[in-house]
Amino acid sequence: MLTQQSAAIANERANADGSPGAGGLYNRIAVLRAERGLSRQELADAVDVNYQTIGFLERGDYAPSLALAFALSDYFGLPIEAIFSRRPFRPLSEQVYGVDRSGGSRAIP
Amino acid sequence: MRRTTVFGIPMQTRTARRRLVVSVYAGLALLVAAGWGLDRLQTTGVYVYFAAYFIGSFVFGGYGPSGLIKPFNGRGPRVQPMPSSLVELQLRMTGALERPDPDAYRNDEREMGRRDRVHYQAYQAICVLLAAIWFLALWELHPPRFVPAGLLPVLLYLIALPGVLLAITLPQAILLWTEPDLEVEAEPDLRTASH
Repeated sequence: MLTQQSAAIANERANADGSPGAGGLYNRIAVLRAERGLSRQELADAVDVNYQTIGFLERGDYAPSLALAFALSDYFGLPIEAIFSRRPFRPLSEQVYGVDRSGGSRAIP
Repeated sequence: MRRTTVFGIPMQTRTARRRLVVSVYAGLALLVAAGWGLDRLQTTGVYVYFAAYFIGSFVFGGYGPSGLIKPFNGRGPRVQPMPSSLVELQLRMTGALERPDPDAYRNDEREMGRRDRVHYQAYQAICVLLAAIWFLALWELHPPRFVPAGLLPVLLYLIALPGVLLAITLPQAILLWTEPDLEVEAEPDLRTASH
């Protein structure tokens, strides 16, 4: 649970100041990996890249090609826009349960 | 990266790789200076070239059969045909004949992009040297009066030799200088960490 939360928080933004990494994109790869219990090596083998490249992708320091983005999309079974975005992702807990950053909750209509 | 050590020294950190690049070029500069003092690089210049070729092929990698950087052409080592099937069988039984790991020589898209980028950067520096060589060669054909006799061939050689040395080492040096710290190993299995 802590691993998933840490990954989710780290994945909200690629840099501490909220700006994306050198690649210019935000991504949810670390969160999706944590959900599925995948190591970087396993994900790298699945999409046929070096595991160092997975690290670059997660940090936002590299923007994938269209082919690699589609490979990740096919592997996770999600659309590309659910994995990569030009704007910061909202935390999944906030999207699903409506829990804001202060810890309060609100019912989702 | 194909390998992470050079003569047993770990090269995962960028700091270590930068020290290697500085050491290599300082060593080559010393060799050039020593060769100049010995015989004006007439014969020693060839040895300096071979030293740079060795470093580029076996230490830096990229264009050679070994080294830190994966082959730029993405090709693995050639598999020589066995002289006899019995020899191959014995080698396989002892584990001496293992298939090379594709990750050790195949570049993925990010690595190919980095390869192209460092060659672009190195190309600019080498073109400046080439232009200087051309300019000096032009002066060699039509020497201006203010240039002392015998100076132009020396200048030509002193620019051409570093140009050749940079041509066979600069892309790899830029790559080793700019790549961030390598992860020592892949992350442990998250399935065990999350429970």
